[in-house]
Amino acid sequence: MIHAVLIFNTSGTPRLSKFYTPQTTNPTALMNKIYTLISSRPAGLCNFLDAPELNALLGSKGGDDDVRVVYRSYATLCFVFVVDGSESELGILDLIQVFVESLDRAFEDVCELDLVFHFDEVHHILAEIIQGGLVLETNVVDIASAVQDNQKARKTSFSAANPLALGVGSGVGGRSANSAVPSPIGWLTTKFAGVGAR
Amino acid sequence: MATNMRGLTQFIADIRGARVRELEEKRINKEMANIRKKFKDGNLDGYQKKKYVAKIIYTYILGYKVDVGHMEAINLISSHKYSEKQIGYLAVTLLMHENSDFLRLVVNSIRKDLDDNNEFSNCLALHAIANVGSQEMAEALAEDVHRLLISPTSQTFVKKKAALTLLRLYRKHPEVIPAAEWAMRLISLMDEHDLGVVLCVTSLVLALAQDHLEAFQVSYQKAAHRLYKLVVDREYPAEYTYYKVPSPWLQVKLLRLLQYYPPTEDTTILAALQKVLETIMQTAGTTPRNVQHNNAQNAVLFEAIGLAIHLDTNSPLVGVAAQQLAVFISSKETNVRYLGLDTMAHLAARADSLDAIKQHQDTIIGSLRDKDISVRRRALDLLYSMCDTDNAELIVGELLRYLQVADYGLREEMVLKIAIATERYATSYKWYVDTILQLISTAGDHVSDEVWYRVIQIVTNTEDLQEYAAKAVIEHLRPPHCHESLIKVAGEYPLLICAAYILGEYGHVIANDPGYSPMEQFHLLHTKSPFCAAPTRAILLSTYIKWVNVFPEIKAQLVSVFDRYRHVLDSELQQRACEFYALSTRPEDDDLLQNVCEEMPPFPERESTLLMRLNKKHGDTNDKRIWNIGGKDANIERRPTRRDTLARSATLMNAAATAIPPSPSADANGDIMSSLAGLDLTSPSSAPPSNPAPEPEKPAVQLTHTANTDKWYDKLCYSNDGILHEDVQVQVGVKSEYHSQLGRVAIYIGNKLSVALTSFTATVSVSDTSALSVTFQKIPASTVPARTQAQHVLQVECRGPFKTPPVMTVSFMAGSHQSMTLRLPIIMAKFVEPVTLPAADFFERWKLIGGPPREAQNVFPITLDAAGQVDTPRHRKIIAGHRFHVLDGLDPNPVNIVAAGVLHMSQAGKVGCLLRLEPNKEAKLCRLTIRSTSEDVSGEVLALLQRHLKADATL
Repeated sequence: MIHAVLIFNTSGTPRLSKFYTPQTTNPTALMNKIYTLISSRPAGLCNFLDAPELNALLGSKGGDDDVRVVYRSYATLCFVFVVDGSESELGILDLIQVFVESLDRAFEDVCELDLVFHFDEVHHILAEIIQGGLVLETNVVDIASAVQDNQKARKTSFSAANPLALGVGSGVGGRSANSAVPSPIGWLTTKFAGVGAR
Repeated sequence: MATNMRGLTQFIADIRGARVRELEEKRINKEMANIRKKFKDGNLDGYQKKKYVAKIIYTYILGYKVDVGHMEAINLISSHKYSEKQIGYLAVTLLMHENSDFLRLVVNSIRKDLDDNNEFSNCLALHAIANVGSQEMAEALAEDVHRLLISPTSQTFVKKKAALTLLRLYRKHPEVIPAAEWAMRLISLMDEHDLGVVLCVTSLVLALAQDHLEAFQVSYQKAAHRLYKLVVDREYPAEYTYYKVPSPWLQVKLLRLLQYYPPTEDTTILAALQKVLETIMQTAGTTPRNVQHNNAQNAVLFEAIGLAIHLDTNSPLVGVAAQQLAVFISSKETNVRYLGLDTMAHLAARADSLDAIKQHQDTIIGSLRDKDISVRRRALDLLYSMCDTDNAELIVGELLRYLQVADYGLREEMVLKIAIATERYATSYKWYVDTILQLISTAGDHVSDEVWYRVIQIVTNTEDLQEYAAKAVIEHLRPPHCHESLIKVAGEYPLLICAAYILGEYGHVIANDPGYSPMEQFHLLHTKSPFCAAPTRAILLSTYIKWVNVFPEIKAQLVSVFDRYRHVLDSELQQRACEFYALSTRPEDDDLLQNVCEEMPPFPERESTLLMRLNKKHGDTNDKRIWNIGGKDANIERRPTRRDTLARSATLMNAAATAIPPSPSADANGDIMSSLAGLDLTSPSSAPPSNPAPEPEKPAVQLTHTANTDKWYDKLCYSNDGILHEDVQVQVGVKSEYHSQLGRVAIYIGNKLSVALTSFTATVSVSDTSALSVTFQKIPASTVPARTQAQHVLQVECRGPFKTPPVMTVSFMAGSHQSMTLRLPIIMAKFVEPVTLPAADFFERWKLIGGPPREAQNVFPITLDAAGQVDTPRHRKIIAGHRFHVLDGLDPNPVNIVAAGVLHMSQAGKVGCLLRLEPNKEAKLCRLTIRSTSEDVSGEVLALLQRHLKADATL
């Protein structure tokens, strides 16, 4: 199963953290540990890393073996999945790609700021892909439509409650005023050939 | 939604704007104080609560401790507004963990949402259970989740979530899920049209099947069928292609599922799988340029190779795979190297011959120096797995050399593996001792206790080794072997421990050789003792007391050591020293010391503690490992346990079968039930055929009965075509033809409903697979359209005498999930070929065979026909139906019948059978005599015929 999903930026600040195994210790320590592990690996090495040292930190019952870290960097963000031995490594790598593509669809050229200001939405999207540490859906189209359905349901309930509100709930992708801060737009998909071809 | 909450956006912006940590903390503290105050004042509307809870979540995500908001989050869950509910659930899943007391309070809200008509609420609730499901939740809600999963009205996205939620609950609290009972219903979901659902259900089945192999047996066939459709027929919705590969995740799961079962014996399924694997490997021959495409393709390929290895390590497919792997391990792409080595280790762990891998030994050894630790680890696993007596010296040598520069995290495991490989593949004692001592002295700290325990065990149990070992340890303790710097101050020093023990036991053997005198031995050990920790010193003391016994010449020195140690602080050392001191200062003629210091007896043979330790490291994971790292023998041991689980779960299967609502049975025929009892689906029936009473503890399969079931079945026993089963929904018909030991039986499934039967599954189980084989020619299609008939052809082969007819289980969805268990009219008599014999021949053979035991005879009542006469036409029909040739004119009495036939069996050969039936009109009795060259056959043919000739047999 998947133990955790994390997103770091290049300076090591976690931008998303979701643990599927209950944490006994301070998650911050764990995240720092993971970031140290992967940041020390130069580019060009493989995307998988055996991490027996995380066993204790994850506090999974019965001393699970084979904790592996599968990670992939996209420009300024690094996506990290901590998984156990029963997951196919390449499968998880593909799943990271699916996650990124789903974020990209939801936010139209996702950037780090989206993850900050729409943290709840990011969690909702992740919930459509992984549930309780298990892969729920891998089809980007399905994920996107599930996310949209969610937004619609939310909007309906909001406008039902606030009939006078105008122009609210413009959906994700409508950047708030603060995002005038220059952001590394387009860092994502263009980096990898073939994404645009979809 | 964040954009809707201006306060939240402002809060996040403020925190981002904070230039230093203190400012950030100040801002957060201010906000938290504000929230606390608001919560305390109460009277908040839903929007405000939502906003504050969202702020709390954000604060929590930043890594701050939060202690408020739990109750508000729980309130939000029961809100009617989706947006508030959603934030509430988000807070619950993030802020609470599965042991949180707050969870008690949400069980009811969650149940309400599960029962809600709004699917989005269902989803939120499922998601919450999947994330934080506690024991209490599992008990209370598992049923509801299951209902959502199997309900035909559930939307696909609900089904997916429900499947995974169930899986999560099962992982955490397996006792809550009646897995075997739900098996058939869950497996039928693998036929869903939506691949997303199939993926989730497969994950669920994958987990359940590991613990309930037997109950989930059908999933094997389903998985094979689905793979065939995906890979060979390329039948799947377009949106499920991921970079041109059809749903790689699903393929990987299915391939994985197939590896949990022992390789199938069903030739049809096997052929389908071969085709699937071939196709996957062919497509993998091309390397796509796109990274994503390549990844997905390889993910499937590596799992496929895993399955190919699992099915048959000698198949040509594995040969192709080995070549491909060889290319992979020297690939430029690190990921590919990593996975190539991993899969090759799997191959090495299972293959009979390691030749294909040994060709690449140099490359693999080179991989130990890969720049990436992940690759190095895999190379280590592979080298360990491919080690055998031929290459052990080379590989162990390489590993030892590498050990000196290996990463610290890797060393302990390496030491274990080297120690095992050395022990297992040692060709000479000398090499073993040298290597293991070198290992212990090189690895120092990383040597776990098990390693030196094992060395001592082996040395103690091998007499030839003792002298050499004693000398070798001394050499290792002497400089330059033993460099002072290797001894960490006050650290454990396994080499010294090992040496101390071996010298204590066997030091006297070498004491007369120059350079190994008692004094020298003592000096060597004792000069090291100041550097050691207490446990090591304790062992040194024990060695000294042994020496007091065998080396009187150094007794004075030894006693003075004990004397000094009597005053150390460590209680263990002190106690030993005191006792040893007292023991060694006893009078000369006392033989207590001698008795105490007797040489150690050999250790009882037991499993290597090293292996136990290594395997422990791999035990107890969520998904069981399919193979262990290590050579072939390490994996063979795993098989029997698998089998055991299979056999044990047969009882569960029975439980599942009895769960089928019993239909009114026209005639509770004890005979049939008892002949079916002992239907053990896995192990070849061990009951000797001469023993008609089946063992009572073996489970019986509950057959589906309708009013006519037995009549139809009996009729089919002596005819080739007819109806086997009929109810309001389906009709099952049989057409069969037999040629000596082979047969083809066509099963016709007629759907009488105006809707299609979906998730159609048919499986045949044979109690004694060594005597009879029954396989489907093709994997049955999963749908039977409305008002049509589907034909499934069974290939039958009789290999030896058998008693129990095969049982076919049919299950399908028609409104609800249903299943039937039917006996197939495939009995031993079907493989009899009629023969004509002239009278002389018949009598000659009749006499030749003689009486019991090769004769079987019984007298039983018969019914007369309407005219009160012996019903000869019926008797003739039954006997001819059992494929005996009725020989007219041999018996002078016209009501008597004699007949002959030859039973064909592919393995047990041919058995001639002669038969004589003597009815008696007055007594309404008849005597049936069977003589054949095999007593098993005589008995069984008698039983078969008698069943139909007997008075109460249904016509």
